[in-house]
Amino acid sequence: MPVDLSMKVLVVDDMVTMRRIVKNILKQLGFGNVDEAENGQEALQKLRADTFGFVVSDWNMPIMTGIEMLRAIRADEKLKTIPVLMVTAEAQQNNLIEAVQAGVSNYIVKPFTAETMQEKIGKIFK
Amino acid sequence: MGTVCNQDQKLYEELGALARFVDNARNAISAASPQIISSSMQLPTAASHLSDLSKMTEDGTLEVMRLTEMMQDSHGQIAKDLSAIVEVLRAMDCVTLAERLGKVASVLAQDDKYLMEIMTALSFQDLVAQRVKKLVAILDEVQGKLMELVVVFGLQESPEAASEAGSAGDLLKQLEESKTTAMKQKVADDILAQFGFK
Repeated sequence: MPVDLSMKVLVVDDMVTMRRIVKNILKQLGFGNVDEAENGQEALQKLRADTFGFVVSDWNMPIMTGIEMLRAIRADEKLKTIPVLMVTAEAQQNNLIEAVQAGVSNYIVKPFTAETMQEKIGKIFK
Repeated sequence: MGTVCNQDQKLYEELGALARFVDNARNAISAASPQIISSSMQLPTAASHLSDLSKMTEDGTLEVMRLTEMMQDSHGQIAKDLSAIVEVLRAMDCVTLAERLGKVASVLAQDDKYLMEIMTALSFQDLVAQRVKKLVAILDEVQGKLMELVVVFGLQESPEAASEAGSAGDLLKQLEESKTTAMKQKVADDILAQFGFK
């Protein structure tokens, strides 16, 4: 099934450089409708106020971490089916297991390539 | 009765050894107090410089990103124009020229891939920032422990403490000074212009 490139994507990261990188990759992959949030709390507000196709989120963030946001998404009746792609430097096995248990759709380890992101996005919509 | 006396004697000896150990430890800590105080005073400055380093890499990264994005945008426009020209050339049966322009478009597409690789390679800045943040947290904790040591043992800063700050202190002083004395090219040019340089 081809990925709908018109869907709105939410990029969540406290680092402006990472948000810009992910947005740039998404743009190059054809996703023209990308919004951003600095932490999990801001992301949840945006997710509740609008309709998004999927979320690309960092793990370590102030106020609300990526894993806390993921749990909140999965616990929310309206949001629970949104695919969440975690992009993180936390390459430890424990983190990956925690993310899988919390319902992550896929997991990318930094530093990553555009091909990896394309592959993971393709997999979550397969 | 004799056993009790022996036990008292043994206890007395052990307490004496313990007192000597504590006294030696206190003396050793007191002797090191100028370095301990000086180190605890230098750590916040070192942490601040680490944070500055993180900010500098962020600024540099954002500038490279800005330029890369500009190139990506102009490449996008060139690719569209090339595609339109190739269509026209094909319609005019100029196949050879159309093919040559098609090759130029391929080179452009390959360059776009390189530009995207440059963008993703810049994620190093995020990793640097995360590690710097952790190092700053460690320095804060070490400084806290050193301050506890200063308070608990009532360490005093000796007049020689400042001069005994060592090379670390000198390097930190240099870094601190560079914040205010680092000259921008514009300022240098203005000064040179006053001396007749054009």
